[in-house]
Amino acid sequence: MTEQNHINNARRQLLIRGAKAAASIAAAVAAVYWLNDRQGPKKVPDSFFAQHVELPDFSVPRKDGQTLSIVRGGDRIKTVDKAIELLGGIERFVKPGDIVAIKPNVGFATPPILGATTHPDVIAAVVRLCYQTGKAKKVIVLDNPINDPASCFAISGINRAAGQAGAEVIMPKESLFSTVTLAGGSLIKDWPVYYQPLAGANKLIGIAPVKNHHRSAASMTMKNWYGLLGGRRNLFHQDINNIIAELSMMVKPTFVILDGTTSMMTNGPTGGSVSDLKKTNTMIAGCDMVAADAFGCSLLNLKPADLPYLSIAEKAGVGTVDYESLKPLRAEAT
Amino acid sequence: MHLFPGRARTLESAIGVLILFVLFITAAGVYVVQQNVNMVRFGMESQQQKGDFLTVGKAEMYDTDNLYEKIDGKAPMYQEAGFRQLTTQRYVSGKNSELGLELYQYDMGNTRNAFSVYSRQKRADAVDLNDLGPPAFGYVSGNAICISQGKYYIEMIGSSESAELVDGMKSMVKTLAAKLPTSEKDKIVELGYFPNEGTVTGSWKLQLDNAFGFDGLNDTYSALYKAGDKTVSIFFSRRKNAEEAKAVAKNYNDFLITNGAKVSSIDSEPLKSAGAAVLDFYGNTEIVFSAGVFVGGIHEAGDKQAAEKAAEILIERLKTIND
Repeated sequence: MTEQNHINNARRQLLIRGAKAAASIAAAVAAVYWLNDRQGPKKVPDSFFAQHVELPDFSVPRKDGQTLSIVRGGDRIKTVDKAIELLGGIERFVKPGDIVAIKPNVGFATPPILGATTHPDVIAAVVRLCYQTGKAKKVIVLDNPINDPASCFAISGINRAAGQAGAEVIMPKESLFSTVTLAGGSLIKDWPVYYQPLAGANKLIGIAPVKNHHRSAASMTMKNWYGLLGGRRNLFHQDINNIIAELSMMVKPTFVILDGTTSMMTNGPTGGSVSDLKKTNTMIAGCDMVAADAFGCSLLNLKPADLPYLSIAEKAGVGTVDYESLKPLRAEAT
Repeated sequence: MHLFPGRARTLESAIGVLILFVLFITAAGVYVVQQNVNMVRFGMESQQQKGDFLTVGKAEMYDTDNLYEKIDGKAPMYQEAGFRQLTTQRYVSGKNSELGLELYQYDMGNTRNAFSVYSRQKRADAVDLNDLGPPAFGYVSGNAICISQGKYYIEMIGSSESAELVDGMKSMVKTLAAKLPTSEKDKIVELGYFPNEGTVTGSWKLQLDNAFGFDGLNDTYSALYKAGDKTVSIFFSRRKNAEEAKAVAKNYNDFLITNGAKVSSIDSEPLKSAGAAVLDFYGNTEIVFSAGVFVGGIHEAGDKQAAEKAAEILIERLKTIND
């Protein structure tokens, strides 16, 4: 072999190695390109101002005499079924193909026996009704517990109950929030609200337990919407009555369920001891959340006048404190 | 000139393949380990044995800025009572994995703040834990154990009411209480100002401000008192001097009248001579007086006679403290 041949051979090897190195670099670049999150984490303030929205109106036409139902009994599945049936059945509210959002109170990572969160049995019962009788296309369950949502959904039993009934549990993340300003509101201005899952739904059902509340005296269906707020929502605790009233103006649900099977009489909203609970054996369903909560007061040995947010919401046209004027439908479910 | 002898090329390739293989194994190992991280190995999180319980996850800490993230609407109550820090930790029973608890340890800054949040939340069915040793206070209620010791208020919330769990919690809380720093300063001497006989032990409450809805009444101690077969709520608040005590008593009396109370006749001669006011407040009896540096009285008594009797005894008792 001549020296020229060696040089040619070396040049060939050099080119081959160079090509291999280039291919390796190209592969690495391709991998980085493939793995790259092109959107990246959204900058919260930018996304808020970029997506200024209004919550859809999920309400259905009223039917006189079928606005509020009160069912006595200790079996949640029977009472919630009866309470909805009295209002006209789930078919009145959920139509075939609907996407139904359910908003329970999942505010704490505590087990169902403490009554601080919506009972999983009620969630499961309503999800099944939506699918089996209402023929819903999809049911989602959502809330924005500030403290570790995964733990709150798991320990409250709601994750399992909703999942087994066929619902999808949506975990909150920043990209699912958008800025909302309530027309005529003084508190909900450019505030992040858990909007995106609701934007894709066409029905909304609120399900809340009956609880004593240190700041607002009671936490029921209207206070339950607090869980749709993002940001440092604790600021609103300084003006708790107005924020609850504004939330009830902002959210127009299809209907609400107030679970008073057990009521947290003391040390709310967290409770902690089963001694804070009392068996009150009542399930309320209604298209008027002011009326539902006004009735719920009686389970906590309170009067509607003890909850200033009720009258604020009534004046704003959300509903009526005089729940008897709606001629509530009453029944026993044993 | 042999720039790339065949033997050298083979060796170089073999080394290259070996390095790639080692890198691949390392990456795979990292991936597998990340799927099941045991933080204990890294000293970042330890699964510790506490009596019959094992820690679950790591301890969480909250300060005044983010307390609401843990207890939401209850945060203001703690913050208004001097809250500094909350540490929480979940545990599971080492004997029965279905049983668990969560421990909440609130640093309230001082003994009185801790006792205030403890006493205000004390459950009606509470069974006092009498073997914690002074100056600790504690009780069991259903699935929960709560104690106040020094600057700490501690809640232990069980996942059920099972005797197995609650017994384990009792044992754990005693161990915990024994480790918390205490001193003579932690003794709340004001609890000794209540009448020795008749006061229901363990019914004490301390309202740091805004007692009974009146913002002029702070640092107010109350307790249940048995007057014959009736039980009434008695209270007092120590002021800077007798003049201030008189002024606060008058202002509280005016506050009650403004809110609908009606002046009632006084049957008790000692109350008359003490200048006490007896009021009917929507069917309940309210009594307010000043005795030396103390403002005192009876709150929401269902029986007027029992209320006046209890007020007489409280005045006499507070006078001995003044003396």
